[in-house]
Amino acid sequence: MVVLDALNYIKAEIDGSLTYRWSCRMGVCGSCGANIDGEPKLTCASFLHDFKGRTITVEPMTNFPVIKDLVVDMEDFMEKLVKIKPWIIREKETAPEQGEYKQSVQQLERYSQFSSCINCMLCYAACPIYGLNEKFLGPAATALAYRYIEDSRDQGKDVRFPIVHEMEGAWECTLVGECSVVCPKGVDPMLAIQKTKILGATNAIKSLLMPRGGR
Amino acid sequence: MEDNERYTMYMVREWTSLFVALYSLIFIYGLSLWAMGSRADFLNFLKNPAIVGFSLIALVFTMYHAATWFYLLGAIAPVKIGRSRTKPWQALVLNLILLVIVSYLAIWLLVLR
Amino acid sequence: MKAETHKVARLHAMLWGIFSLGGMIAAFLLPVLIYMTAIAYPFSLWPFSGSRDPSFLVTGHLLGALFIFVTIAGSLYHGIFRFQSALTEVGLLKYRRALEAVGYFIIFVGIIVLAYYLVTWYLNGTIR
Repeated sequence: MVVLDALNYIKAEIDGSLTYRWSCRMGVCGSCGANIDGEPKLTCASFLHDFKGRTITVEPMTNFPVIKDLVVDMEDFMEKLVKIKPWIIREKETAPEQGEYKQSVQQLERYSQFSSCINCMLCYAACPIYGLNEKFLGPAATALAYRYIEDSRDQGKDVRFPIVHEMEGAWECTLVGECSVVCPKGVDPMLAIQKTKILGATNAIKSLLMPRGGR
Repeated sequence: MEDNERYTMYMVREWTSLFVALYSLIFIYGLSLWAMGSRADFLNFLKNPAIVGFSLIALVFTMYHAATWFYLLGAIAPVKIGRSRTKPWQALVLNLILLVIVSYLAIWLLVLR
Repeated sequence: MKAETHKVARLHAMLWGIFSLGGMIAAFLLPVLIYMTAIAYPFSLWPFSGSRDPSFLVTGHLLGALFIFVTIAGSLYHGIFRFQSALTEVGLLKYRRALEAVGYFIIFVGIIVLAYYLVTWYLNGTIR
């Protein structure tokens, strides 16, 4: 049994007004994020036997405004996801008759880890920088942007770099690492942010040394 | 904060930077005693118990910085070996060994030769 | 969706790059320097158990002077950069601009002073 089952029980038998998000109950939809004893976790992935004998506290995820009970306002997060343009951007689309954009296994491996994000927002709940500065782009959005930057089919670097490389982009991150600790899908957003920073630093140096040429 | 213990460790890690910066400033101050006085002033400064005490604390924090830095290197730049990737603790061990080698080389090249 | 302008923080990117380099320097070079000045010399241990002392690092060879410069400058930069970000995290975010100004000023002065001493010593023959 998981914490989500306990919440459903409470809603069914004790207090019908208890309000919370859930859907797939198997850790793929990203709906049921909450703070369980202070740790951002998916309620459907938190087994009650791990809390044997203890009373646990379930709270809405940190760093988000609360709408009701465990339901938080996702507006800021949704804006950030859209901001980084999470779709393949091509300079020129090829006609469908020409077939798919081919990609090797090695090319896929460069970004597939970062495409596992289920938008559960646990990483934002865990990030103290986001807690201090709401303007920070944050783990999931930066990881998603990096996912597209690294996708060989994508040609949208010019569009995405300014977004991730502005001050409130990757630069705010100070490698706390909590985002990667709490991520239920092993996305490792900390790694994505670091790689984004390295891209930014090398680009900046390149633009210094080769103002007209280097990309 | 969600997990106080991990966050405290993160804060300690970040605040080691204060000692790194302070040691550097104190070292520059020591050199200034030499520049504006004599070499002996610099050497006496190094032997001053307060300076030795502070430096030892700075060394502990610098080593903590080095260890956490090596671990982070392992986390953000894993090396692919076949199908698997290196783990952060492996980078930590490898780089600590490298640190010992580099330190020995530095002493050999700069003092003993 | 309203149009947004995003400005690449190119200067900050470069400053971060230097900070990373400083972190490598502080991790690999600073420990041995502190060992030499705070343990080996005060307690007469290897390699300063004889007549040599840490001033030899500066006077002995240009390489030693370079080592001092790189290690201290790199560590100073890294330490200040990181400490200033740590300060903004303990609630001083609104003073960020001021903290950065003070921080970079300290770095600038420290490195200039260090370079000045070493260059002067090189020019007057103190460094061989």
